[in-house]
Amino acid sequence: MRPMLSAYTDFIRIRFLTMLAYRVNYYSGILIYMLNIGVYYFTWQAIYGGKGEIGGFTASQMTTYVAVSWMARAFYFNNLDREIATDIRDGSIAIQFIRPYNYLFVKMMQGFGEGLFRFLLFMIPGMALALLLFPVKLPSDPVAWIGFLVMLFFSFLINSQLNILTGLAAFFVENNDGLMRMKRVVVDLFSGLVIPISLFPGWLSGIMQWLPFQAITYLPGSVFTGRTKGTGILDVFGIQLLWFFGLLLPIYLMWRAARKRLFVQGG
Amino acid sequence: MYYIGLVFEYLKNYMKTRLTYRADFWVEVISDLMTQATNLVFIFVVFGHTDSLGGWSEAEVIFVYGFFMVPYGLFSCFVNLWNFGDRYIVKGEMDRILTRPAYNLFQIFLENVDPPSLIGSLIGVVIMIASGGQLGLEFMWWHIPVMLLFSVSAMLIYSGVYITLTSVSFYSDSPTGIIPLLYNIQNYGRYPVTIYNRFIQVLLTWILPFAFVGVYPASLFLGRTEMFHMAWLTPVMGGVFLAIGVVSWNIGVKRYRGAGS
Amino acid sequence: MKAIEVEHLSKIFKVQQNRGGLKGALQDLFSRQYNEVAAVDDISFSIPQGEICGYIGENGAGKSTTIKMLTGILVPTSGRLNVGGYVPHEEREKFVRNIGVVFGQRSQLWWDIGVIESFGLLRKVYGVPEQDYRKRLDELVQRLDLGELLSRPVRKLSLGQRMRCELVAALLHNPSIVFLDEPTIGLDIIVKTEIREFLKDMNRQYGTTILLTTHDLQDIEALCSRVIMLDEGHVIYDGGLDTLKTRWGQGTRVTFRFGAACPLDRLRLLTGGLDVSWTADNELHAEVLVPGEVNVSDVLARVVGQAEITDIKITETTTDEIVRQIYRSGSAGLPEESVRAPHA
Repeated sequence: MRPMLSAYTDFIRIRFLTMLAYRVNYYSGILIYMLNIGVYYFTWQAIYGGKGEIGGFTASQMTTYVAVSWMARAFYFNNLDREIATDIRDGSIAIQFIRPYNYLFVKMMQGFGEGLFRFLLFMIPGMALALLLFPVKLPSDPVAWIGFLVMLFFSFLINSQLNILTGLAAFFVENNDGLMRMKRVVVDLFSGLVIPISLFPGWLSGIMQWLPFQAITYLPGSVFTGRTKGTGILDVFGIQLLWFFGLLLPIYLMWRAARKRLFVQGG
Repeated sequence: MYYIGLVFEYLKNYMKTRLTYRADFWVEVISDLMTQATNLVFIFVVFGHTDSLGGWSEAEVIFVYGFFMVPYGLFSCFVNLWNFGDRYIVKGEMDRILTRPAYNLFQIFLENVDPPSLIGSLIGVVIMIASGGQLGLEFMWWHIPVMLLFSVSAMLIYSGVYITLTSVSFYSDSPTGIIPLLYNIQNYGRYPVTIYNRFIQVLLTWILPFAFVGVYPASLFLGRTEMFHMAWLTPVMGGVFLAIGVVSWNIGVKRYRGAGS
Repeated sequence: MKAIEVEHLSKIFKVQQNRGGLKGALQDLFSRQYNEVAAVDDISFSIPQGEICGYIGENGAGKSTTIKMLTGILVPTSGRLNVGGYVPHEEREKFVRNIGVVFGQRSQLWWDIGVIESFGLLRKVYGVPEQDYRKRLDELVQRLDLGELLSRPVRKLSLGQRMRCELVAALLHNPSIVFLDEPTIGLDIIVKTEIREFLKDMNRQYGTTILLTTHDLQDIEALCSRVIMLDEGHVIYDGGLDTLKTRWGQGTRVTFRFGAACPLDRLRLLTGGLDVSWTADNELHAEVLVPGEVNVSDVLARVVGQAEITDIKITETTTDEIVRQIYRSGSAGLPEESVRAPHA
């Protein structure tokens, strides 16, 4: 299986290099992420006014949370849903079925190549810039750093899994653009990116706890801001693991249904 | 007129295509509405923790959101450039467009009309009526023509910005372009921009003027006098940004390199 | 009256130069290097009204780039262009009403709706009056035998059926100049012949000027009185197909098989004084190339009777071979050296 493995790592490398080629995206991306952090920073400032604590967040924790959440998004975000939907719509997915590799695994590898690029060239410089512009406090506890970085990787995995599911929907509806747009908004809101889950009204945050979205932003963000500490980190990491393995099942089922559909209907 | 005739022809074709995929129509309408609903959730949650945002009440912010939905629906219906880079540049469909005797940008708009988006505009009107009632706003006859003027102007601003950014596809080699990155920014003009610092205010007013697609024009109907002068600038900004969009588009088309060899 | 006039036309593309490896890619992110590549390099030609002209060249020779400039899709870097009285990229919308374009590998038609609906829409786009449209459509449908295809969506058509519909779509507004980019690519021989016949008739009946690119030289032989050959952005031949054949044709090839060994030296001796060249695989098998100005019968008369011949085969060089030769040598400018030298 060794040559196969190197083929997969090649997908990572190629995507990494491809990302480097898109200069306009790179520069505008950094600016736009700073702008996103800025807008939410000021919005929360306005909301806090003189209040000490909202939903268990102090104003200063909120600033750090906003910055780290957006920078985490800069890492885990990808367009796998769009890419898969395009492959399905223009029929090139049929060729993927006869290639000697697993299509979804390849997509995941490409997503990881993109993620690696985003981590090194978006997230780290972006975070440095955010430190200069906004009063962000980095954690002093090395455990928080380790916990956050491990969980960040799982944020990427879970977000990519959701993207794969949305992309595969193109097998079943002709035009899934609307679906993809909706997924993006839902992930941004319910992952806790724009509002931490603890600020949602009780019934809504109750629902959120049973959905995979919080595992993408809210849980790692809580570790980074120091709201979750010690063994609590293991608990929230456990939730991420559970979702990661849990989401494999619907992907498998959808992929199987998609194959069947492709073979019955033709390309 | 020639171009108006074309609009109807393309709409007719759109209907015929859509009749083949009827289920999709509803998937799209529902997912669009869900998207708008999640945006509203943000407003509700925020106002669960505070009574005012920069001096604006919940009902006022919701009214602004309702106003935003009207031009946004018009824009999504008639100026749908989401797939431009992929479909027209990478796959080379621009070649075909350029060999036909109608303005190329107009053809692209027509080929991508998306009437279900107009449902969003209707819901926006309903939201304005509901929150306006809650605020006890008095309805006046001139509200209707001004609302129409502002909605169309705001849509032109939106179109101008997106046309300008899409024309980057003629230079850049990236298939997705930078538009997806902007997705969040367009939301920020729906909140009272006075809460932001100077830099972001200037940005949302003059550079990516999304504040003119939300809070500025809506302030006129809300009677927030401090922004009246900005509200009346909306049509001017519409003209200016559309012109910028069209000019940069035309320059971009000259740089078009075609797909393949 | 010239339908197409091209003077010193050039198109230069800036091509991004990617430095290799990770380090190179990182450098590219911050400073980028470009190369200039001339896809079309200072070409001039003109095509009179009513002519069918073939435009040939290898992949990447600049054919498509030229066609795209002539149709107004691309803006030239330099040079002068006049097509049907317009400068294509300057007055694009007015200009294209007068031309028809078919890209063999790309569809003009709407994928999901009946072919006839696409035609109806194109009628509106080109502003063709209802009556003219009816007449023209009837004529084309009959000529290309489309009858029952009209109500089918494009995605349900075969390539041959689709191509015939593409032709109709490009010709509905009765253009006086038609550009065809690989119109027969991927089609079977029957459809190819049909399309060639159709184009020839249209040219005869309406005096339509046609410029076509193709890789299939049979298209050229069947249709064109004139060919323009392109290589690396330069015109390397422009003239009649016959001239091409007589000037660059290697003449006639005569293959002999001998009953007994017959060395090359002996054969050369036999044909001494005649400007022919011999080649041989072995002593039982030889081939002689007889240029156009030498009589084949003279050569045969010298050899027959002097050697024990079991078989003779006489072949003319085909256009395919000529073109292949010219491509290989990269220039049609000096046929004497380039074609004959290897045998001398």
